[in-house]
Amino acid sequence: MFLDAFADALLLAFSPEVIFFVAIGIAMGITLGAIPGLSGDMAIAILLPVVFVLEPAAALGLLTGIYKGGMFGGSISAISFGVPGTPGSAATAIDGYQAKLNGTPNKALNTALYSSVIGDSTSDLVLIFLALPLAIVALTFGPVEFFALYAFSLLLISALTKGKVAKGVAMAALGILLAMIGRDPVGGSVRLTFGIPELAGGLALIPVLVGIFAVSELIIQLGRAWLERAQRITAETEKRAESLLGDYDPAKDKLTFAEFRATWKATSIGTTMGTLVGALPGAGSSLAAFISYGLAQRFSRKPDEFGKGSLEGVAAAEAGNSATSGSTLIPLFAFGIPGSATAALFGAAFILMGMTPGPRLIYDHTDVIYALFLILIYANLINLVLSHFLLPLYSKIAMIQSRILLPIVCVLAILGTFAAGNSVIDVYVLLFAGLFGVVLRLYSFPLAPLILGFIVAPGAERALRQALLIGRGEWTSLLSSPIAIGLYATAAIMIITFTFILRERK
Amino acid sequence: MFLSKLKLKATAATAAAAMMAIAPTLGAASPLGSDPLRLVIPFGPGGGSDITARVLSATAPEFCGPRIDVVSMSGAAGLEAVNFVRNAEPNGHTLLVSDYGPIVTSGYIDDVDWSHDDWQPVMNFTEWQPTVYTRPDHHIQTIDDWMAYAEENPDTVTFGHASPLGIVHLPLILLEETTGIQNVHVPTSGGGETRSLVMGGHIDLGMTLPASIAPEVASGELTALGVFSEERASQLPDTPTFRESGYDVVLPAWLMIFATTDVPAETVEFLQDCFMEALESPTAQAMNDRVNAGIEPLNSEDATTLYQNTVASIGNILRDIGEIE
Repeated sequence: MFLDAFADALLLAFSPEVIFFVAIGIAMGITLGAIPGLSGDMAIAILLPVVFVLEPAAALGLLTGIYKGGMFGGSISAISFGVPGTPGSAATAIDGYQAKLNGTPNKALNTALYSSVIGDSTSDLVLIFLALPLAIVALTFGPVEFFALYAFSLLLISALTKGKVAKGVAMAALGILLAMIGRDPVGGSVRLTFGIPELAGGLALIPVLVGIFAVSELIIQLGRAWLERAQRITAETEKRAESLLGDYDPAKDKLTFAEFRATWKATSIGTTMGTLVGALPGAGSSLAAFISYGLAQRFSRKPDEFGKGSLEGVAAAEAGNSATSGSTLIPLFAFGIPGSATAALFGAAFILMGMTPGPRLIYDHTDVIYALFLILIYANLINLVLSHFLLPLYSKIAMIQSRILLPIVCVLAILGTFAAGNSVIDVYVLLFAGLFGVVLRLYSFPLAPLILGFIVAPGAERALRQALLIGRGEWTSLLSSPIAIGLYATAAIMIITFTFILRERK
Repeated sequence: MFLSKLKLKATAATAAAAMMAIAPTLGAASPLGSDPLRLVIPFGPGGGSDITARVLSATAPEFCGPRIDVVSMSGAAGLEAVNFVRNAEPNGHTLLVSDYGPIVTSGYIDDVDWSHDDWQPVMNFTEWQPTVYTRPDHHIQTIDDWMAYAEENPDTVTFGHASPLGIVHLPLILLEETTGIQNVHVPTSGGGETRSLVMGGHIDLGMTLPASIAPEVASGELTALGVFSEERASQLPDTPTFRESGYDVVLPAWLMIFATTDVPAETVEFLQDCFMEALESPTAQAMNDRVNAGIEPLNSEDATTLYQNTVASIGNILRDIGEIE
C-alpha cells in the first residue's frame, strides 16, 4: 500500500509537467519576492484559480514554487537595497544591507541562499516526518503561552540593541503603539484613529514595513545624491560616463567555504527556531526571523559584528524565516487549522481541488500529498540551482549607481504596496512611514525593534487579553503554564548573563 | 496613480485570460460590454467568501459575457471594499460579495456615508448556519448540558467567537439575550484560532460555520452542539438546531452579491439572471459539491426580503445591547 502510493507519487512529482511548473513558480516567486511589497502570498492568491485548470500535483507544484521562491526573493531586495521584499525578510535587511554597503552583496546573498535552503529543507523534513507530534505540541500553546513567546521575542530584540537599550525599548513601545491604531480586538470599538475612518482597520504591515525601512532610506539617499550632485556640478560632469557599476569588484566578493562554515551555528539556530515558531498557528515568519537573529547574536562569538554586516546575522534571519515554510503547514495537515496566511491559501487550494485539509487529507489523497512532499524537497534544489545562476546578476544590480536604481525601487515599492492590498490609503501610509523613518534614522533610533513591536503587538495584545478573559482578570494566570514560565525565565537569564558579559568586557 | 492602476489591471487581465481558457464567450450579446466584472470581497483571500465567489467567477463568464475577477480588499476591516464599490461607476461592473457584517452591522455601528437603503441585493449565494462546537472529551456535549452548566455557573464557560459583533458572535449575544445565560466571550483572530484554542483545551466552546468543521464532526474529532438556523445544516445532518432544543434563536448568515441602488434595474436583472443560470450549470454544481460551498441561490427579490429582515433583526440586537440608540 505504502510502496504503491509512493511509486505513484514519484511518477506524479517527477513528471516533466510538474517539474516545469515548480521551476516556473520558483522563478516567479524570486522575482516577485524581490519587489518590495509584493510577496509570494499575494502571487499565490492571484494564481489560486490555476487549481481549476491544472492537475492537482502541477497546481500544488506551481504554488509551492512561488512560495519558496518568494521566501528567498525577499532577501534579495533586503540585502541589495535595504528594503525587505517581504515581511519575513525584515530581519535580513539589518545585516544584509550593511554587508552590501561594505561592498560584499554577493557574499551576503549567497549566505542568504544557502541558509535559506538549509532551513527550508529541514523544515520540510520535519513536516513530513514529525507533523503530528509537533502539531500536538503546537496546540498546547494557548493565549498564556503565546503572550510569553511574544514578550520573550520583544525583550530579546529591544534589549539587544547594544549601547542604546533605552532607544531599543522605546522603539519597540512605539511599534506597539502604532499597531494599536484601529479596532480594539475585544470591544470592537475604534481607537487612536483621530477620527480618520480609513484608519479603522489599523495600519497594514506592508506599507509600514516598506515605508520605515525602504522609503526612508530612499529619501536619505536621494538627499545625499542631491548634495553630491550640487557639489559636482562645479567640478565638471564628464565623470558621469565612467561606468554604471562604479568601482565594484566582483572578484573580491565571493563567499568562501570558511566564511560559510562560520555561519553554521547561526543557520542551525535559525533552522530550529524557524521550524518551531512556524508550527505555531499565527506566529509567522517575521517573528521567527527576529527571534533567530536575536538568539544567534546572543550565542555568536562575534556579537559585535551584528548590525554591521555580519554574515551570521544574515544566515540566522534567512534560515529562520525560510524554516517556517514547511512547518507552517503542520497545523493545516494535522488539524485543518491554517496557521498563517500562506497556509490559509494552501488550504483554499486544497478545498478548491475538492480535498479537505486535516488529518484525513493524507489518507484520502495519498498520492497527491506524497507528491507534494517530494515537491517540497526538490523545489529547494531547483531554487538553489536557479538562484545560483541569478545571484551574480542580482548582486550587480545591487551595485548599480543609486541615481538610476532609486527611482526604480521607489516606483516598485509604491506599486507593490498598492497591489498588496488594492488600497490607496496604504500608499499614503507608506509615504508617511517613509518620512517618519527619515526622522528616526537621522537621530539614529534602531528600526528593527520598531518593526518587531509592530509585527508582534496585535498577536501579543490579543493573547494577553484572551488570557486575562479566560483567567477571569487575574494577572497571576499569566504564570499558570510551565511553558510560559520557562520562556520568561530564559529571557531573564539571557538578559542578565548578557549584561554581565558586557560589563566584564569593559 | 491612475496610470499604475491601469497597468495593474492590464497585467491581471492578461494573466487571468491566459489562465482561464474558459469556454467561448457570448460577449457580443451581453449588455455589459467586454469590460471585466469585479466581485469585490471585504475579506482576505482564501476564506469561504473567496472560495464561493470563485465558483461564480469561473463559471459565469459563459453566461454573462465579460470576464469576472475576484478582488480581495480587507483594508479598514472590510470598509475599504464597501466604499470602493460604493464609489465605483454605477454600471454593474463592480459588485460587492459580502456577509452581513461589513454591510448591515457596519452600517449601524461605523461612521459611514451610506445607509442600508443604498444597497440592492443582486442575488444570494447561500445561508450559513453558525454552529457551536467543542472537543469530544469536554463535559459539555449538548445544548442542554451547556444551558444547565451555564445557569449554575454563570460567567465561567469560555466561548471563542472571532471578531466582536461578527457573524459568529451576534448569535451568541442573541442567545444570551433570550435565555439569560452568561458566558465569557473570547474574541479570536478567526475560525482557525478559535479551533486551535478549542482543540488545545484553552477555551470551552467555539462558533464557526459548518463547512469548516463538518469532516472533523463526522470523524468524531469535534462535537457540534447546535446550529442557529431554522433548519439543520446539510453538512451536519445530526446536529440539532437551537430551536429544536427549545431555544428560539435563529440568526443565519448569508453571502450576497450587492450592487448600489443607482445601478439601473435592467442591469441588475441581467446580472441576476446570468449568475443564477451559471450557478445551475453542471460545471458550477460539480464545483459547488467539490468545495462544499452549499450554494443555494436566491434571486434578487427573495434576497432583498432576506436582506431587509436581517437589517431589522441586527438593528434590534444592537439596540438591545446598547451598541446603538
